Amino acid sequence: MSNVKCAWVLCAAALLVSGAVTACRSSSAKASNSAADFQPEPDVTFKNLEGADVSLASLKGKVVLVNFWATWCDPCRSEIPALISLQDKYSSKGFTMLGASMDEDGVKAVDPFIHTTRFNVGGQQRLMDYPIVLGSDAITDKFGGLLGMPTSYLISRDGKIVKKYIGVVNEQQVIKDVESQL
Amino acid sequence: MRRPFRIVAPLCALAVICAAGSRIAVRAQETAMPQSAASVVKTKVYASLDPVPRGKEFQVAVIVDIANGYHMNSHKPLDSYLIPTTLTPQLPAGFTLADTIYPPGKNLKFPFSPDKPLNVYTQSVTLRLRLTAGDAAALGDASIPITLRYQACNNSACLPPVKVPVTAAIKVAAADAKSKAVHPEIFAAGSSH
Repeated sequence: MSNVKCAWVLCAAALLVSGAVTACRSSSAKASNSAADFQPEPDVTFKNLEGADVSLASLKGKVVLVNFWATWCDPCRSEIPALISLQDKYSSKGFTMLGASMDEDGVKAVDPFIHTTRFNVGGQQRLMDYPIVLGSDAITDKFGGLLGMPTSYLISRDGKIVKKYIGVVNEQQVIKDVESQL
Repeated sequence: MRRPFRIVAPLCALAVICAAGSRIAVRAQETAMPQSAASVVKTKVYASLDPVPRGKEFQVAVIVDIANGYHMNSHKPLDSYLIPTTLTPQLPAGFTLADTIYPPGKNLKFPFSPDKPLNVYTQSVTLRLRLTAGDAAALGDASIPITLRYQACNNSACLPPVKVPVTAAIKVAAADAKSKAVHPEIFAAGSSH
């Protein structure tokens, strides 16, 4: 084989390897975003703002998006309008949002926030009016640990975690994912 | 002349492919979340005098190096709901705190806040304490425990607020002891950010 042919073969091989590596990287990024695919939901019980228990098991039969957030978290705030829209659009079809606040001050921080802070949802100034509960490190540990917020988990009707979102959700993607479970 | 070019061209293409691959790897690392909120910063602590004579004001600087791709709220974030960066000393007996100097943050916009800037620290920030060791301060080696509290985010997610302990090691001397200014590169300038 001539030197020229050899060089081009080398180049083609590099292209193939590079393509394979890129494919692996993108699939591993997707996997890390949904590493918990089809794991059973953790056996956790939240407290709502009135102090009542809200277990994930009690929501079996519904598609649930558990969203770990905090009042001090700007990225969390930026996705709240999309989450209000999700609740509006799909709650009658067997879906519910579950906003789990990770504020250290718990009810003291969250209660005033949800009653006073309004979000622009399709031109309307809306409160965060989907179910809100209090999260904790013990609860997030059962989800495998929480590195950043927002982090959300999509749970199927039969109680399986089907997707994990780290960071602000892509609205179109989450709509597609929720619809696929309904 | 043509033959070497025909050999060099594919090799150049190979180099470009390899470079592109390494750029992808770097970008992937930059966007990954760290293992803990505390690992986003590295701190170094310096005192302005050696030794520190009783009764003479000195400074302690905490240099906070922030990981690439991350920012933390400044001491005066633009919204009241945001958690400010604070530096709090736990003063040993005989020490007094005159002031804590926080440099101004930068107003920057982020993908999650495209219309509203946030006042943040990025890359490296130096926070300083103005202190005095009074007559009641014990002579000799002393440690001043300090708590750095911050809340950091990257372009799409935030880490929980965290308290990082740091320690300033100084030596207290008599009021008339000779003392020299140290680390002028840190303390001679005003706030450095």
